[in-house]
Amino acid sequence: MKIEQKIILSNIINVVLLVLIGVFSFQNLELVLTKLRFVEIADDLNASFLEMRLSEKNFFLYHDKASLLEIKDKISSTEKSIDLAHEDIARAIGKENLEKLTVHLREYADVVEDTVSAGVVKSVLEFRLRVKGRGLREYSQEITQIERKSVNSIIGSSKNILIYAFLAVLITAIAVSHFISQKILRSVREVKKLAESISEGNFNTITGIIPKDEFGSLITAVNTMSAELSRREEELIQSKKLASIGVLTAGVAHELTNPLNNISMITQNYIELYDYFNKENGLGLLNKIQGETERIEKIVKNLLDFSKPKEANLLESDMNKTVRKALKLMNNTLDISNIELTADLQKDLPHVFIDDNQMLQVLINLITNSVQAMPGGGRLSIATRTGKRGESVEVIISDSGKGIPAEFLPHIFDPFFSTKGPEGTGLGLSVSYGIIKNHRGQIRVESRQETGTTFTIELPVYKQ
Amino acid sequence: MVIDDEKIVGDMSKMALEQEGYIVETFLNAEPALARLKEEKFDVVVTDYKMKGIDGMEALRMIKSLYPEIKVIMITAFANLDTAIEALRGDVHDFFPKPVKIKELKASIQRALSK
Repeated sequence: MKIEQKIILSNIINVVLLVLIGVFSFQNLELVLTKLRFVEIADDLNASFLEMRLSEKNFFLYHDKASLLEIKDKISSTEKSIDLAHEDIARAIGKENLEKLTVHLREYADVVEDTVSAGVVKSVLEFRLRVKGRGLREYSQEITQIERKSVNSIIGSSKNILIYAFLAVLITAIAVSHFISQKILRSVREVKKLAESISEGNFNTITGIIPKDEFGSLITAVNTMSAELSRREEELIQSKKLASIGVLTAGVAHELTNPLNNISMITQNYIELYDYFNKENGLGLLNKIQGETERIEKIVKNLLDFSKPKEANLLESDMNKTVRKALKLMNNTLDISNIELTADLQKDLPHVFIDDNQMLQVLINLITNSVQAMPGGGRLSIATRTGKRGESVEVIISDSGKGIPAEFLPHIFDPFFSTKGPEGTGLGLSVSYGIIKNHRGQIRVESRQETGTTFTIELPVYKQ
Repeated sequence: MVIDDEKIVGDMSKMALEQEGYIVETFLNAEPALARLKEEKFDVVVTDYKMKGIDGMEALRMIKSLYPEIKVIMITAFANLDTAIEALRGDVHDFFPKPVKIKELKASIQRALSK
């Protein structure tokens, strides 16, 4: 079930509970009101009954008929008021009790009637009158008492029920929101963990059971994103490589022109002076042409090697070899940019576990950046050395370029961050960073404006 | 005189130009070439633009200041408008991008000598 549906359902349940409590309380209040109305009526009745008994007492004292008639009057007025409040009373004390009460009253009235019609005071009648009178009053008092108690108990119990019901609603609400927030938090934590690992360049996915709610969709989306990013990163590395090739091309073109020119000049002479050549001279020239074509082949092969998309292939390797390869590829670019190169490669450098091609790309990215930072020429130095405690190999690339402003330094490894304006893709350093990270290494930058920039790559020493 | 750090350029220029009856000396870089100019008078210097040590532009300036009568022809693998303009400002007689057409080079030398 979706989280949204769960929340709506729990809200509906709570609302229903609250409505039930409301209806219950309303009915209780209605009952209490009815009972209170009855108690009021009952008080009136009790007063009437008391008056009847007083008249009865007068009758016994003075034996006057007037007292009896008073009683009769009272009885008929009481019967009338009972009739008027008939429904209320029935609801309050039940039909049975009401009937009993009217029967009591009727019997009392009969005895009074008998006494009146007898005209004289008979002890039997007198006794019946007393008994019925007392019974009527006691019964009515008893009912009143019971009703008072019942009102109290209803109020008391509904107070308790209200408290419990509200507690129940509160607890359900808290439990449901706790459950949902825990579930949300758990999912959020998982997604957060994945997002963090993605930001570090590890394109993992969340595996295991994927819930069928909104978080399920989110996790699926993030998983898809992660897979997509992983694919894009490969594309990015490749596209950055092709961009580097753009820069390399200027140097490479120049490098190709020389052997081409040599071949061209040899053939021109060969054609022009064909008749003057003996077999030996001719062969010498053809060999020279062969030598120059091999030179071209090497240049092209280097470039092709670098540009080919390759699966990451980590091998034990000497970093110096990769640095030399990079310098060979960049040599002409450095040359035509008026950059003086110093290479200080430590002998017997411990081996590292690297993808040679990717590392080559990093070096070319960094050297290209340096070249672009020194448009009027300058100095570039590359050094390799064993890091502190002998656990790492460091490659240090320093230029005498214009440097990077301090406020840009924290961002230079961010994708699409470029200081080169429209020329830069903002991908070179971010791709380099990704590659070094994948090698469990580190890349650092130090820069001072107008003095130059130093990049330091640190790679763990290969251990068997 | 031909100065180029590519040995074949010197060799092939020498081969072609000697056929025409010129006396040709070749150098792989500018320093010994400049030293040689002190000893011997040359009519034409063909030099590469981009070289290690003293490069073509520098050599051009030095030759022009010391021996203004020598005609300098520049050849380069790194040909663009900027280098051409720079070379012409330095009072170059001619400017050829690589690959060099030997016939054009010969014609240019002929013109340089006939002036």
